[in-house]
Amino acid sequence: MAALCALLFAACLGLLLTFNYYSTSAALEDQLRARIRDDFNTFTQESDAEGSESVIKEITERVARPYDPGSYFYVAGPSGAKLVGNLNFMQPKLGWQKLPPGFAKDKTREVWGQGKMFTGGYYIFAGQDASRVLSARQNLIYSYFWSGLLAAILALVAGLVLSRSFLKRIDAINHTSIAIVKGNLKERIPLRGTSDEIDRLSGNLNNLFDNNQSLLESLKQVSSDIAHDLRTPLSRLRNRLEQARSSAKTIKALHDHIDEAIVDSDQLLSTFAALLRIAQIEAGTRKSAFAKVDLSEMAERICSIYQAVAEDEGKILDCEIMPNIFCNGDRELLFQLGVNLVENAIRHTEPGTKITFAVFAPATLQVRDTGRGIPADQRTKVLERFHRLDHARSSPGSGLGLAMVAAIANLHHTTIALEDNDPGLKASVIFQPA
Amino acid sequence: MKLLLIEDDKATADHLCQGLRENGHSVVHAATGTAGLARAIAEIYDALIIDRMVPELDGLSLVKKLRSAGNHTPVLMLTTMSGLDDRVEGLEAGADDYLVKPFAMIEVVARLNALTRRPQPNAVQTSLRVGEVEMNLLKREVHRGGKLLDLQPQEFKLLEYLLRSQGRVVTKTMLLEHVWGFNFDPQTTVVETHMSRLRAKLDKGFEKAMLQTTRGVGYRLVF
Repeated sequence: MAALCALLFAACLGLLLTFNYYSTSAALEDQLRARIRDDFNTFTQESDAEGSESVIKEITERVARPYDPGSYFYVAGPSGAKLVGNLNFMQPKLGWQKLPPGFAKDKTREVWGQGKMFTGGYYIFAGQDASRVLSARQNLIYSYFWSGLLAAILALVAGLVLSRSFLKRIDAINHTSIAIVKGNLKERIPLRGTSDEIDRLSGNLNNLFDNNQSLLESLKQVSSDIAHDLRTPLSRLRNRLEQARSSAKTIKALHDHIDEAIVDSDQLLSTFAALLRIAQIEAGTRKSAFAKVDLSEMAERICSIYQAVAEDEGKILDCEIMPNIFCNGDRELLFQLGVNLVENAIRHTEPGTKITFAVFAPATLQVRDTGRGIPADQRTKVLERFHRLDHARSSPGSGLGLAMVAAIANLHHTTIALEDNDPGLKASVIFQPA
Repeated sequence: MKLLLIEDDKATADHLCQGLRENGHSVVHAATGTAGLARAIAEIYDALIIDRMVPELDGLSLVKKLRSAGNHTPVLMLTTMSGLDDRVEGLEAGADDYLVKPFAMIEVVARLNALTRRPQPNAVQTSLRVGEVEMNLLKREVHRGGKLLDLQPQEFKLLEYLLRSQGRVVTKTMLLEHVWGFNFDPQTTVVETHMSRLRAKLDKGFEKAMLQTTRGVGYRLVF
């Protein structure tokens, strides 16, 4: 590609220089002819006024003058013999002619000039040394050649450098892609910050790689979660079945064991469903289903469902819901986010705790309780899958509630803030108002 | 009821056929989508149970074909996919209800019952009556044996669903889905709480308890 660029560049340059050469040399030749024409004008006037002899006399003087070395003359009489002049014998020819080297005293000189007949049968040739034109032409050609060569080399080098940097950037993209395919998911294409096409392409590819990485990581996380955290309930289920087989003496005892095993497996299935749901939320495909959601209406619904539940647990659920708070999001998932936060507050607090469910502008959903709260150093960890605080381990639950909340918040381009409610926990999520 | 089961997994099919027959239904079984479609068109059934992933013609396409052919037999779709969008896809294809495997037998039976008693869409009901209980849907009032019951909105919704079920068993999942709009398992006793409150108001002072709980199965109104 570099060679092609250089070739195109050279062709353009050549065309330009050729034109320049011809116009320059034509101008120089015109200058030369103008001088000769001037000479003849003078000669003609003089011949008309004083006769051809006077002209011949002047030519004789001019030939003898040392300060006009570029001018050449030749005069022949009616007989054809040379009368005067600083040129060797020549055939008297009319009109413009270019005498090859050899006519002038300096045998290397080329003389260009014009021959005319004057009254009395005199032939006069007036010429000029053409070497200036010729050497100028020569110089032009030399300079054109060298500058052309230089330009061609420069073009080639510039082309090479440009295409190499272009190819290098393509190479960087290739290199990154291959690295990622090989498993180095953290690799990214370096950006130059020039925001040209390649930079933008690289940026987009990097975004793609980011998505890819987070998808794969969540997949890995899910697999390891399943491997580690589902073993416990599975082995509990297995133990129960074994116990049922070995120790149940009556049909009723057997049924009781089996019922418990069914409850255990239902719990497992529900955990599985929650895990899958989190993974799907993290995959981000639900964004296409985003719409305007009435947070206030949704919160009222949750409140009216959970006030009774909280009361049965010996807790108070207060609702401070401002009307007409809208946000952009997924209705079903936002409902689950609210439910999870409220359920979390109900499940992990002592009887007598006051829980407040609040919705206010700008598009904020908040659950506060006066319970024992979450220690500051645990607040990030509780958002991870299966992470449970020590005092919560004994209570039922999958340890996925807050992880689900975090995933839903993340899908909505926001985060859940866990703060001290002094005492208790204040969990808030601020959505994009709609 | 006369049911058509379209399911390729033999263990699931046997389990379902046996369970449904024990519940007094007659079941015809087809193992592929095309065979199922042929049977569904050839005969009239009370309901179809269709697995989403059957060979030759998948469940979604099968339901779409049936519906576009003007067949409106209620369809309960079974699936192993519990994705967020799968349920919506199933319902959009024309299925009437959607059940994720694995499931309890009672869940299938209860849902089939619910499907086959769907009211006519153009019949506007203003009141519901089951036994002694009468619910006025316009005034949002409930009387039992002439006595006005003071129900909270959630209790009213719950009772309305039970009344519409006309004495048949409804499961916890059905209540969560249809009364409260949950498509996931809550971690608290949402159903039990509201059920016990409704029971307190419905049955208190009456000799006969109408609201029955069957352990591990569900709830129903007896009258």
